Amino acid sequence: MNPQSLQTYFDGAAFVALSPLIVIALGLLLLLLSSVLPVGRSVSNLLMLGTLLGSAALHARILASEQVPGLVVGRSYAADHTSAIWGILFVLGTLIAWLYSLRYYEDERAFQTEHDVLMLATPLGMMLMAGAHDLIVFFIGLELLSIPLYALAAFRRSRTKSVEAGLKYFLLGAFGAAFFLYGSALIYTTTGSISLDAFADDARRSAILGEPLALAGIALVAASVFFKISAFPFHLWVPDVYEGSPTPVTALMATGTKAAAFAFLMNAAVILPHSAANSVALIALLTMAAGNFAALVQTDVKRMLAYSGIAHAGTLLLAVAGSLAGDPKAGAALEASLFYMGAYVATAGGAFGLLALLERDGEHTTTLDGLRGLGQRRPVIAAALTLFMLSLGGIPATGGFLGKYLVFSVAVRADMTIYAALGVLLSVVALGYYLRVVIAMWMQSQPEGSPSVDSKPVALAATFASAVCAALVLWMGILPRWFLDTM
Amino acid sequence: MSAALFYLASLIALCGAAGVILAKSAMGSVISLLASFFALAVIYLLAGFQFMAAAQILVYAGAILVLFLFVIMLLNLGALGTKFELSFAPFQSARAKLACAIAVGLGLIGLIAAQRASLPESVAQASAEPIDSVHNLALALFGRYSLPFQAVSVLLLVTMVAVMVLAKRKRVGKGNEQ
Repeated sequence: MNPQSLQTYFDGAAFVALSPLIVIALGLLLLLLSSVLPVGRSVSNLLMLGTLLGSAALHARILASEQVPGLVVGRSYAADHTSAIWGILFVLGTLIAWLYSLRYYEDERAFQTEHDVLMLATPLGMMLMAGAHDLIVFFIGLELLSIPLYALAAFRRSRTKSVEAGLKYFLLGAFGAAFFLYGSALIYTTTGSISLDAFADDARRSAILGEPLALAGIALVAASVFFKISAFPFHLWVPDVYEGSPTPVTALMATGTKAAAFAFLMNAAVILPHSAANSVALIALLTMAAGNFAALVQTDVKRMLAYSGIAHAGTLLLAVAGSLAGDPKAGAALEASLFYMGAYVATAGGAFGLLALLERDGEHTTTLDGLRGLGQRRPVIAAALTLFMLSLGGIPATGGFLGKYLVFSVAVRADMTIYAALGVLLSVVALGYYLRVVIAMWMQSQPEGSPSVDSKPVALAATFASAVCAALVLWMGILPRWFLDTM
Repeated sequence: MSAALFYLASLIALCGAAGVILAKSAMGSVISLLASFFALAVIYLLAGFQFMAAAQILVYAGAILVLFLFVIMLLNLGALGTKFELSFAPFQSARAKLACAIAVGLGLIGLIAAQRASLPESVAQASAEPIDSVHNLALALFGRYSLPFQAVSVLLLVTMVAVMVLAKRKRVGKGNEQ
């Protein structure tokens, strides 16, 4: 071998493919540097914004070009139109969470730059996960996403709940990582490869699936991915972690982590046999049921949204099941999950963000009672929150409705009508708790004797983020053609 | 001869691992871990992984265990006693027993599966040639695996920042230092 072999791996195509990631890595280093240099917060903020937008622009360039780089660096990373769309989604989710975090912290204000560095690392991990074509790259991406989130969950160290959330997430996440590593070791033992190429054709796949050791490995890997998307029965950590974490971080977890794990799941569905479709669909239904029924009895809006996030993961899992069962319309499952996740990022990001905004103002919004009468006090915020709740519930003219419609039609085309019908019924259950929030805001008056809150003016960044989220939700709901064509 | 050595090393590794969770004092856990690490290094050597064995001793037995000892010293955990005693107290509850039973069951399934599985040719080949000579290792790290290798550098940096944030005190000059 020649000493220049690194060049053969990092050719022009590899640079184009990895450019969005390189930009983030560079921005991260500069941001870290800016915390020790005598520059103001505005420089760090501009740096963060510029890095995220630059990465999105480079993704958009890949999306716009006819010739995609494809598999690069020894077939370990794939950059194509799909991964570019996922990349833009990740940047969007991070941007929303970051904008809401800008005026959120009080005691920890001095560590905002470190907070931003950790937040900026997460989309890098997500992009590695979405583009991963082998298990090692995926694992590094997973850790690059998880480790900053562990620290961010416990960022408000003065609050017990925040520390508890960080510790719980860390311990369970460490177990999940161990499962993944053990599973990939077993897969390597049987296939001699950690690349998804090993499952490329049906003949090799069925040979591998005949090995009990490989099956055990696939089960372990699947368990760890299901843990990340919070599918049943690995969903119990979600409410505690989401409730305890600082709300902007919760927004990032809810949108980013889930999107990245699904991006890999859509790629890696090749390692699951077609016969797994029914069990995946069953898990999807159980996840939806577990999320929706538990959300019905919550009085804390953050916990309720956490359970609703579990239910949404279940719905998306139905699209994965549909693609496993062999949807006759090629690429429809991928399109459905991209659209669904896009709508979810805008909706859940906006909903959690608005909660963060109200929390900062000292409103007791983590409970349903605290939201009572919000419609009279702050009509604009209440209206935006209503829009997000309706979209999460899947009411027509919002992005959430069309996402659900696309996912369920994938399931129906794949001969999973029963599962789809049950899924629709469970979505109706979900309306019960989304509408409770709307009723509390508009139809109930503020409880007597509650402390009056002098509402501070809303920060520009948060206003902008809310407006973008609301516009996206409506745009995806009313004029979805542009999005569907791009996918 | 090498088979006997393998079984001996495996036994020590397993006993050491058990000692880590059974030892009463933190010191006892660390010493058990040390024994386990050395036994693992012997197994790596027997399998032909010289570099891995050296790295195992240098990095784990050398650096990481010293770090553990340092933490024990700092937190004054040594005060709990330095005598090596085993304690089964945490394993008395029914839940812990159930968890142990499940873990042993999973291990057995893995063992049976490993007995039945036929290794693919690529794995058999991989262990035949010295895969972990430093030259080959470098070619793999800077070639086929250069993307994860470089991503790990970002991961380590971010982990450092994360640890710093978790261990943070009030920033000097912006309030009282705790």
